[in-house]
Amino acid sequence: MSFLVARDLRKTYGPVTALADIGLDVEEGEFVTLLGPSGSGKTTLLMAIAGFTRPDSGTISLAGRDITGVEPEDRDFGFVFQGYALFPHMSVADNIAFPLKVRKWDRARVDARVEEMLGTVGLADLARRKPRELSGGQQQRVAIARALAFHPKILLLDEPLSALDRTLRETMQRELKRLHRQTGVTFLYVTHDQEEAIAMSDRIAVFQKGRIVQVGAPRDLYYAPSTRFVAGFLGVNNLVDARLVRGADGAVEIEALGARVALPPGKVADLPEGPATVFMRPEDIALEPTPGEPALAIAGTVADVSFVGSFDLVVIEPRGGPEITAHLPADRTRALPVGAPITVFVRADAIGVVPNT
Amino acid sequence: MSAPALHAAPRRRESTPLGRAVAKVFAVGLPWLLLGFLFLPVLVLVPVALTDREYLSLPEHGLSLQHFASLTEWETGWLPSMMTSLVIAAIATVVSVSAAAAYALGAWALTGWWPSLTRVMLLAPLIVPPIIYAVGIFKLWARFSMIDTYPGVIIVHVVLCLPFAILAIGASLAQLDPRLIQAARSLGARPPTVFYKVILPNVTPGIAAGAVFAFVTSWDEITVTLFITSRAVETLPRRIFTGIADSVDPALAAISAVLLAVTLLALAARTFWFDRSQSP
Ligand SMILES: Nc1ncnc2c1ncn2[C@@H]1O[C@H](COP(=O)(O)OP(=O)(O)OP(=O)(O)O)[C@@H](O)[C@H]1O
Ligand SMILES: [Mg+2]
Repeated sequence: MSFLVARDLRKTYGPVTALADIGLDVEEGEFVTLLGPSGSGKTTLLMAIAGFTRPDSGTISLAGRDITGVEPEDRDFGFVFQGYALFPHMSVADNIAFPLKVRKWDRARVDARVEEMLGTVGLADLARRKPRELSGGQQQRVAIARALAFHPKILLLDEPLSALDRTLRETMQRELKRLHRQTGVTFLYVTHDQEEAIAMSDRIAVFQKGRIVQVGAPRDLYYAPSTRFVAGFLGVNNLVDARLVRGADGAVEIEALGARVALPPGKVADLPEGPATVFMRPEDIALEPTPGEPALAIAGTVADVSFVGSFDLVVIEPRGGPEITAHLPADRTRALPVGAPITVFVRADAIGVVPNT
Repeated sequence: MSAPALHAAPRRRESTPLGRAVAKVFAVGLPWLLLGFLFLPVLVLVPVALTDREYLSLPEHGLSLQHFASLTEWETGWLPSMMTSLVIAAIATVVSVSAAAAYALGAWALTGWWPSLTRVMLLAPLIVPPIIYAVGIFKLWARFSMIDTYPGVIIVHVVLCLPFAILAIGASLAQLDPRLIQAARSLGARPPTVFYKVILPNVTPGIAAGAVFAFVTSWDEITVTLFITSRAVETLPRRIFTGIADSVDPALAAISAVLLAVTLLALAARTFWFDRSQSP
């Protein structure tokens, strides 16, 4: 049995279903991210696990023990809030010492641990400062040090980096990964930033309208999303309506954007014939077919070309469907004025197919 | 001048010399005018209190502390009424601040419609004209035989002090992030620890400010007190009021000077405690 287990969690606020039949297993020492759009229920699940929100039904257990009814102060879970929630009347050191004094550690042990935590997050010089005398990134470090000081069983983090600017956010992402490795504590992390989730997590649980629609390693979600929503949420994807056609000999063909191609065997074993959604990553769209490989040939016109660095971002308007974006080599796009006809190719094995809903 | 430069000029700075002069007259003149009308009458009290004559007047041959000395004599009646005011103000402050703190914390912790509704109710004493309240409470206290009793005066003062205490404590609670409580709990703190170590230290400045406001409000309340007291409960403002009606004793000026000093001290204390702890 897993370390932290949530089973059939439900929570409604009046007409709003914040959590619907949530099931989640987290292993000890794992870094699991709850990823989803705003209002999808991530915070609600985190608050339920922390004990601040009582679910309408369902259970939460830790190491085999049911903790659904345990008060937050008895759970021993660290929590890093979005606004940091540092105690404004206490110094940095006193903030970090707070959970230790509450646990009646003796003086010497508290001092030693505070010093150790200050060193871990690199704030040894700022021990005597008040939170309002710190920058956002420094406050964030204090909040993390405080939540880790008492050796919590789990560290819960609710969008801890969303208030920081981009460069600082990337530094803090690395820092959090280091802290996770260094402490071995189980991290449960909430974000709506898919890049952040992909960069940091062992596993990601994707939320949609109060449900977890897919759980898996970042790579699995990226290359094998199970629904149209997940495919659209992870990475920039071209999502296109298509038709699945099954031949008599087990061959499967896909019809999209006015073109047709046979898919490699076994790719869409469990999908029925009929309407489906196809996704293609911009980096998989090319100006020529790969020799010897079947490809979907999409004909259309160039709608826009923009330079973004190592490649050009080209928007194409296919004859039979919505716009798609492609990453094309910059040296080839000079010959592509807006409005010019163009044909691009997507290898059959780079085409993903998911159900329409 | 080019068109973009014209547009870039911020509107408010485009004042004419005349406009600036008028603005200066008001910005500088009004405070001085207020200072003149408020503080001259107050300041003139000081020399009058030091007069060497036996009636309200400016000193003639020299300064004298005799009228201050007379304040300290029990028989003149100033000390007893000062004690009365002190006791009433102290009790009214403790009661109203405790009630206000309990109410403000409760309203802060809960959400929904009732905190905002009850808040309006409790702040009503700020809106109801004291003279109307005085007439009403006079009728009510007459029926319950509460006229000229300590409980009668204290209850009224508590009602009048409550809004100030609630406003002051509410203001410091409004700055308190509710997530601090969740943070403290997630760190293992039980309710008493949360209250004493997290909530209280953050609202103490508000409670202190509320106490000063409440004390000053009760200490110089006159309108309602005048209606519901006669001889048994004689507060200091009431004694001054009756004193000025039927005597020209310079002790009146002396006691006023003392009151002024006390008020200035309270304001200084408030500024020192509250404003300093609020600023970064
Ligand atoms: N205390 C509450 N009262 C009423 N509705 C609530 C409450 N808390 C959450 N909700 C609703 O439950 C749903 C899920 O909210 P939740 O805060 O869990 O979303 P989230 O995924 O954390 O979103 P975000 O990324 O914006 O933080 C939302 O529709 C929200 O309006
Ligand atoms: Mg949230």
